[in-house]
Amino acid sequence: MIIYYDFYFAKFVCQKDDLYPYFLVIRLNGGSTLEKLNARMVKITNHETYKRWLKTAWPYVTGAVLLSLFQIVTLATTGSPWGVSGAFANWGAWIYEAFGGSVDKWYYFSSEGAQATLNNGVLNNPDSWRNIGIIAGSLISVLLASQFKIKKIKSFRQVIAAVVGGLLMGYGARIAYGCNIGALFGGIASLSLSGWVFAIFMFAGAVIGSKLLVKFFM
Amino acid sequence: MKEVMLDCFGEACPIPLVKAEKKLKELDIGDILIVQIDHSCAMKNVPEWAMKEGHNVEVEEVNDGEWEVIIEKVK
Repeated sequence: MIIYYDFYFAKFVCQKDDLYPYFLVIRLNGGSTLEKLNARMVKITNHETYKRWLKTAWPYVTGAVLLSLFQIVTLATTGSPWGVSGAFANWGAWIYEAFGGSVDKWYYFSSEGAQATLNNGVLNNPDSWRNIGIIAGSLISVLLASQFKIKKIKSFRQVIAAVVGGLLMGYGARIAYGCNIGALFGGIASLSLSGWVFAIFMFAGAVIGSKLLVKFFM
Repeated sequence: MKEVMLDCFGEACPIPLVKAEKKLKELDIGDILIVQIDHSCAMKNVPEWAMKEGHNVEVEEVNDGEWEVIIEKVK
């Protein structure tokens, strides 16, 4: 029997022109003593465990199950369902207040709950922490898979589309009191009809958006 | 038999897929289309579409976050 012991990050060796991390794999033959250890270097990027867990994208079903589990954890620990875009509105308010503005009279922030959230600050806001976690987690996963790349902006049209699209999505999400997470995912998970209504119109919007995309971006 | 490069660097989904579909239609049987992408979801949907259509497909990671989807048109 051959047992493989993987010492993650045990050893980093740099080749002449590339800096791929190597790690040490020590092969133990059954019942062998330390002298019989047969050590060899295996490129980490060729290792099965690395490929399966860090390199290749996980199946959609795995993602769906994990998202469902963690949104239950979110609801159980914070008392409110998972939301993403609501925190961005608060970030906007905090930035505005940092420059001396006040949102107290704004209808959106006028409720007691909204005021309490703003007064507690970003450090006591679970949604903000989670959003930072999403960004940091994405960065870590893409770095571990060595797929990080700063993409070039191809045309001015892309800039316009990104800005207009972002504004429309942000505005729409606040007017609808939720985005595809808070309103759709959270709504459906809470057995609320509003989640399904949101889904129908989001689908219609996606169809129209796709047609526009093909028309203006091809 | 010719080889055609399709530069989709910097394009987000689903643009690489739509461009690849369009380009492959113009090609003859036996031609090879190489779609250059840097959007990881295109790495999934472009090969999936081409395989479903029955073409020969290979994905090569050419650089950090850059892939070439090599499609041989077979029908």
